Amino acid sequence: MDSLILLKEKLPEMLAEIAAKFTLIGPKEETGFTQFQELDDPSEINLDYLLSRVPPKSLVFQQTETLFTFTKGKEIKVETPKVDSGKRIVFGIRPCDARGYDLLNPVFEGRKEGDYQDLFYVLKRNRSTLIGLSCNEPAVNCFCTSFDDSPASTKHLDLLFTDLGDKFYIDVITKKGEELIENLSKMFSKASEEDLKARNKVEKTSISAITRKMNTEGVTKKLGGMFQHEYWGQVAMRCIGCGICTYLCPTCHCFDIQDESTLKQGGRIRVWDSCMNPEYTHHASGHNPRPSRMNRVRNRVYHKFNFFPRNDGVFGCTGCGRCIDYCPVNIDIINIINDVEEMK
Amino acid sequence: MADNRNLINAAKEIVSREDVKYIIGYKRGTYGFQIMPAFAYNSKDVEGFIFSPLCAKNLTVYPMLEEKLPLKRGEEEDKRKVGIVVKGCDSRAIAQIIQEKGLKREDVVLIGIPCRGVIDSKKLEKMFPKQTELADLEEDEEGNYIITTNKTHKVPKTELISDVCRSCEYPNPVIYDVLIGEKIEDFKIENFERVENLENKSLEERWKYWENHFEKCIRCYACREACPLCYCKECMVDLLEPQWVRRSVDLSENTAWNVMRAFHLAGRCISCGECERACPVNIPLMELNKFIEKEVKEMFDYTSGIDTEEKPLLGMFKPDDPEDFVL
Amino acid sequence: MTEDGTMTGEGMMMGENAYKPGLAKIADITLEATGERAIKTFKLEFLDEDLRKNFTFKPGQFIMVSVLGVGESTFAISSSPTQKGYIEFSAMRYGKHTKALHQKQIGDILGARGPYGNSFPVEKWKGKNILFIGGGIGQAPLRSVINYCIDNRKDYGDLNIIYGARTSKDLCYKDEFSKMAGMDNLQVHLSIDVEEEDWEHYVGFVPSNLMRLKPSPENTIAITCGPPIMIKFVIQDLIELGFKDEQIYTTLEMRMKCGIGMCGRCNIGNLYVCKDGPVFSWDQIKDLEGDM
Repeated sequence: MDSLILLKEKLPEMLAEIAAKFTLIGPKEETGFTQFQELDDPSEINLDYLLSRVPPKSLVFQQTETLFTFTKGKEIKVETPKVDSGKRIVFGIRPCDARGYDLLNPVFEGRKEGDYQDLFYVLKRNRSTLIGLSCNEPAVNCFCTSFDDSPASTKHLDLLFTDLGDKFYIDVITKKGEELIENLSKMFSKASEEDLKARNKVEKTSISAITRKMNTEGVTKKLGGMFQHEYWGQVAMRCIGCGICTYLCPTCHCFDIQDESTLKQGGRIRVWDSCMNPEYTHHASGHNPRPSRMNRVRNRVYHKFNFFPRNDGVFGCTGCGRCIDYCPVNIDIINIINDVEEMK
Repeated sequence: MADNRNLINAAKEIVSREDVKYIIGYKRGTYGFQIMPAFAYNSKDVEGFIFSPLCAKNLTVYPMLEEKLPLKRGEEEDKRKVGIVVKGCDSRAIAQIIQEKGLKREDVVLIGIPCRGVIDSKKLEKMFPKQTELADLEEDEEGNYIITTNKTHKVPKTELISDVCRSCEYPNPVIYDVLIGEKIEDFKIENFERVENLENKSLEERWKYWENHFEKCIRCYACREACPLCYCKECMVDLLEPQWVRRSVDLSENTAWNVMRAFHLAGRCISCGECERACPVNIPLMELNKFIEKEVKEMFDYTSGIDTEEKPLLGMFKPDDPEDFVL
Repeated sequence: MTEDGTMTGEGMMMGENAYKPGLAKIADITLEATGERAIKTFKLEFLDEDLRKNFTFKPGQFIMVSVLGVGESTFAISSSPTQKGYIEFSAMRYGKHTKALHQKQIGDILGARGPYGNSFPVEKWKGKNILFIGGGIGQAPLRSVINYCIDNRKDYGDLNIIYGARTSKDLCYKDEFSKMAGMDNLQVHLSIDVEEEDWEHYVGFVPSNLMRLKPSPENTIAITCGPPIMIKFVIQDLIELGFKDEQIYTTLEMRMKCGIGMCGRCNIGNLYVCKDGPVFSWDQIKDLEGDM
């Protein structure tokens, strides 16, 4: 389908229609930060934000998920909870966060024939249509361009809205996106050459405003020879193990499974967990393969830039910069990788 | 800055001592106004140490984080001292830990710096968004902050100072080995007004207020890791036998976690504000802690982290302790 | 595939809940080792008839067993796939879940899902001699291969079992070893770490027993499993005895939660012990950079 235009004043109408027909999820302002939530009232949407605090991975990989419920007693019954099947439209997601979804796919959907799939992730992912919002300006620590991506990238979305001032330029990218447009009333017009030029200008301006760059040339191979280097001890000295980097990362996917029950019934739940916790790999025998912060920080950097690329061919990082923004002790992944590149 | 030079000289002297492993101080960060905790092992490393109102981080969290790893054959444990640069509130944390026998006084060498308050990084970011180039902030004599980005700005201190600092009663370190700079007269601006706001709310309003906040908690436990006084080897929330707090992230468990942590800090919290700074979902944790601090003062006339010889509040019993809640 | 979509032995199909266990009854419990670190072998029979008849696996794979409401743990399947209709696993009593497991009686219901992981390449090993070196409860996964080889006796050469534990009370499968005493081309060498009254066999650590016996690497595959430190020394000693990297196999263990390669917990470097393992040959992991 050709690209379209939507006048800004018509946006509330479009959102209202989506909220009425499907489930609308968008960025909402909380106490000083933005978070993706289900919106019953589309006027609550706040597009005046750079990055949501908690990445939208919480929409497909929920923080607390019930895997199954069981009842005890004479006959034990185990049941999978019913998962909603209605369509969800996620509006206003940034291209880097959408890229994060694609990086979670090999983990939860398996890499080859015969691999296990996570039912809950797959169902949620399939019923979500992603409408992206280009970044007119980057945040302080944005570096998506270091991964061959852009603030107006169409690679991982179904539709992409670019703000041109008084109107939105809409790239229709996938069939899912096309279907959604066809499902909505006629409020779109065809985009012109002028509009395309304006959209490209927005992208170019945004890209040139990104100042921080990470040099990733050959870093996977370089890291391969550096596992025992003393650099990791130095970096990890100031880590306090708070785990914020893992909770706010769009591609971190570690989780814990616990049983919660009363006498008669209960369930098994899955919750986010962090590899920065000392107890994370603690065996019952007392042995801990990652006893110190050095092991854990090193494991995290390697997971994103060495293990993930070796298993799946792409870096496990989207360049959103949240880990740099919120690390209380200024552990800066861009600096770390650049330091690694410069080492002999 | 004159003070910086004195700081570096004192640190150099201490780090060159035989019985000191390393010193922890502040250095410039990697972008913008960032400050990073730095570990100096020799005189050369100390050269980058600075101190300014940007240095908000409480460095006393590190001595308790050191891991005791299994030793190689023939290797002996390095039991040397650790040097730390401390502000007023930070030194109270060390005093409190010594009170509780978590550390011995001889384990640490303290470089004390009287502090006039640190900035609130969220307010600073609002004022200077997208500051990628390294920038500086200093305080002048007239109660302003002089901020150097690519231009120079003068901002009244009250617009940027951290909330906890406004009600600070201990700007001077309570224990130290070396003091850098002159002791400061009490400069408390006001009582912690956020606690007064809370007190004026009805019980129902208060409950709704906290419900709103605890719903957003993502149980990342950053508050616990950033707090110098949360150093339990096994936190109550990690225990499985028995399990006090479930792992599910919902309102009930989040409330249990936050309230239990606040109570475990009763009579111990030294108001450095690290927990609130670290929280990614902006929960006003200091309101909880300050509220309890006020009650502790009223009930037991006790202030945490002042005297290392004093016994910890909830670890001792005095015959004249208030008991009007006992039936 | 059962009607309610629970686990079969062959892997997942679309629409199934990978975390949902099948229900199994405890058919038998054998107390192998007593004391603080008691070890019990459980024999499980799936309640669902189809599952019970058709559940199949390969030696070396593991299952996730759970006491519903308490937790879930990883256990190597210690019976052989030639033994139909049931599966066995051995559990040492350590933490919250295994303590609850040890309190279960015959007839109680447990949850079990699997089989997961890769397996020992028993097809490739046909015609070879096999050397088993186990320590403590590490013997459990080896027992699966041992019984498989015994049931397919013609396909394999000499079988040598070197097995040790800390004390005679910690030795597992004692009855089975006695039964093996009369078999052709099968030798069992037991040991304990510390001198005991009435102990007729070797006294010393398992690696020392290995060096004392000096088995030949000629046409032999060596498999070892036990505490991490024992595996390290045994592999060093095997190399000294002339075994090549491709001849040495081990099965590793890590803390696991999902068992299917998603929770990210059990990785050693870029390999997940639950997906790329738990069986590894030494040439696969000798240069592996990771935390073990």
